[in-house]
Amino acid sequence: MLEALWNNVDYVASVVLFCIGLYIIIAKNNLIKKFLGLNIMETAVFAFIIALGVVDDGSPPIMGEGASGPFASPIPHALVLTGIVVAVSTTALALSLIIRIYRQCGTIEADELREME
Amino acid sequence: MKKALVAALLIIISIPMLIAVAAMPPHGDADSPVHTHVSARYIEHGEEEAGAENLVTGVLLNYRGLDTAGEVIVIFTALMAAFAVLITHPGRGEESGPTTAALDPEPGTEPESDSKAPPPISPVVSFMVRLLTPFTTLFAIYVILNGHVTPGGGFQGGAILGGMFIALTIVLGEDKVRTLLPRRAAPWMQGAAVFAFVAIGVIGAATTGYFLGYPTDASLHLVRELMMVVIEIGIGLGGAAIFATIFLQMEAE
Repeated sequence: MLEALWNNVDYVASVVLFCIGLYIIIAKNNLIKKFLGLNIMETAVFAFIIALGVVDDGSPPIMGEGASGPFASPIPHALVLTGIVVAVSTTALALSLIIRIYRQCGTIEADELREME
Repeated sequence: MKKALVAALLIIISIPMLIAVAAMPPHGDADSPVHTHVSARYIEHGEEEAGAENLVTGVLLNYRGLDTAGEVIVIFTALMAAFAVLITHPGRGEESGPTTAALDPEPGTEPESDSKAPPPISPVVSFMVRLLTPFTTLFAIYVILNGHVTPGGGFQGGAILGGMFIALTIVLGEDKVRTLLPRRAAPWMQGAAVFAFVAIGVIGAATTGYFLGYPTDASLHLVRELMMVVIEIGIGLGGAAIFATIFLQMEAE
């Protein structure tokens, strides 16, 4: 078990990052910090997917003259590019919403917001 | 107490993930399922089928072009949503808002612009940003235009352009940078990615019968590359304009 974990230490790093992000979301009170935690979780997922596409002694999936295999898988790269753009969009929208919340309520601390209701 | 509970919860959550990770094929194994199914075919035939030496661009614009079109619409929708969320300002009431004040500087608006003047920027930072701007722009254009043969593409180049725009806004102030994104051209720039995708998609539908279909004939590979470059330019310009606009919109408050 430990040896298998050590062989896949790249994936284990993603799991650790994911847990850090989840911890921030649950434990922190500030909305911006919560959202940074969500961003860390997204990054963990991206790192995991990118790590899946790695091949030992591989080169980037760019053909043309002089390119020789083995090539890294192009699909994880394309998927993660899509994912990053969606992550940026959600980040922008969430920050806008947080600005709006701050303007309306004067605070972005989750417990103070809960008391206001 | 709460933190201990959260940590216990995280350990409980992470155990199944770690077990799953341990059971996966070794990292970098060329025989793992990731490398033996679709991507093996893409690597073998991708260059001739998709028409791009950079297989990531081939996958993005050709094999999964509809996906990318949807993604472009997602960032456009995010921009619209950010506008909708930020458009009203209860504290300002009948005032015309900071963006129009920036466009038509009148004597009466000066006190307001003084009160929200940006904090002074270090001259070193200001000089470096201004010095690097032409090179950053050149690099962004290179990345956008060579997306189909080298690493890069519209999204990457657009992010570089947008980041440069944001750095310039911080250093020079909003008023000067606004001239780069004139009010009348702004909506067209923000929609550039969507427009490019729809235009190329309709052209593809007219010529091949499929939305976003590219000519597969070997003699037409230049046309195919041109279509990809048009989409890349659209994505680059549109992405940069959207990032910049969202930033300006947030900063304006």
